Amino acid sequence: MEEVINDIVDPEDLKKFEKKYNKELVAGHITTNTQFEYAWALTRSKYGNDIKKGVGLLEELFQQGDEQTQRDYLYYLSIANFRLKDYEKALKYCRAILHVEPRNHQAMEMEKLIKEKMAKEGLLGMAIVGGVAAVALGGIAALGFAVSKGKS
Amino acid sequence: MAAGPYNYSYIFKYIIIGDMGVGKSCLLHQFTEKKFMADCPHTIGVEFGTRIIEVSGQKIKLQIWDTAGQERFRAVTRSYYRGAAGALMVYDITRRSTYNHLSSWLTDARNLTNPNTVIFLIGNKCDLEAQRDVTYEEAKQFADENGLLFLEASAKTGENVEEAFLDTARKIYQNIQDGSLDLNAAESGVQHKPSSPRGTQLSNDQPANKEGCAC
Repeated sequence: MEEVINDIVDPEDLKKFEKKYNKELVAGHITTNTQFEYAWALTRSKYGNDIKKGVGLLEELFQQGDEQTQRDYLYYLSIANFRLKDYEKALKYCRAILHVEPRNHQAMEMEKLIKEKMAKEGLLGMAIVGGVAAVALGGIAALGFAVSKGKS
Repeated sequence: MAAGPYNYSYIFKYIIIGDMGVGKSCLLHQFTEKKFMADCPHTIGVEFGTRIIEVSGQKIKLQIWDTAGQERFRAVTRSYYRGAAGALMVYDITRRSTYNHLSSWLTDARNLTNPNTVIFLIGNKCDLEAQRDVTYEEAKQFADENGLLFLEASAKTGENVEEAFLDTARKIYQNIQDGSLDLNAAESGVQHKPSSPRGTQLSNDQPANKEGCAC
């Protein structure tokens, strides 16, 4: 799991996806795939500002996604926030996936890693309270909750 | 993911590719955990697994990137091909379409890896003999024609799973021994003797810390 989080995008790849995105932006229509590819590359950048930009694009995608793709966006939102050291948000996104797919082992591994990190930094108490609130909502509503509250 | 002591002399990078639902993650899980993962959801993007094996008395750490098979991830997973020493290309023997798509996966593997990358074809789910949709013989012929290693395996029973991962490593090791794989070449997918204990990171933009650079 740590390897996935620590993996840094090849600058050439980032440039490639950025170019494709900008081209569609100028043309006035950005496809979901292009936006996702660019967002994904940005969240793997070593620069915080890139990651933040990626988070913004993923949040947009989330609003238009179906349940399956929303799960993917949440996963990358969790990773991106982890990389930005916002562990509470990372945990919230991760738990939203687990609420819909309790046995998703990628999310389970992610949750474990975030908790370890938070325990190390003495942040775990607060996060558990937030988690309970998310679980009180059902299914995809919990996913929406996760992202809408993500900006607070 | 406690890797234990870093007492290995090589790191080999692998990728696992193939259509959605052929059992790539289950093969990885069977290999790293020796367990079958039932009801495995579709992989999101990529997953990572690692295990230390032994080939000809040498400890080798395998760093395995398992890619999502869904089409919408294809562009992003392609960036993980780079620098792979081994590629496990998987189809499902009970679903002909997954076999028919192999040439497209092979094209990607050939274009995006180096010429020495060992490509191993795995026909997964060989425990489901009654539902077989691809014969052993035709897949074997496809493998031979394209210079691929080949086995049918089952992530469920574990049959031939070890063999596929280990045979790939043996072939890579053999390529190192006979000099056809140049370890100093960029993107060989092999690292010799990790110099730092954080040797688990094999990022795409490796810094120029190549010791023994012959310049």
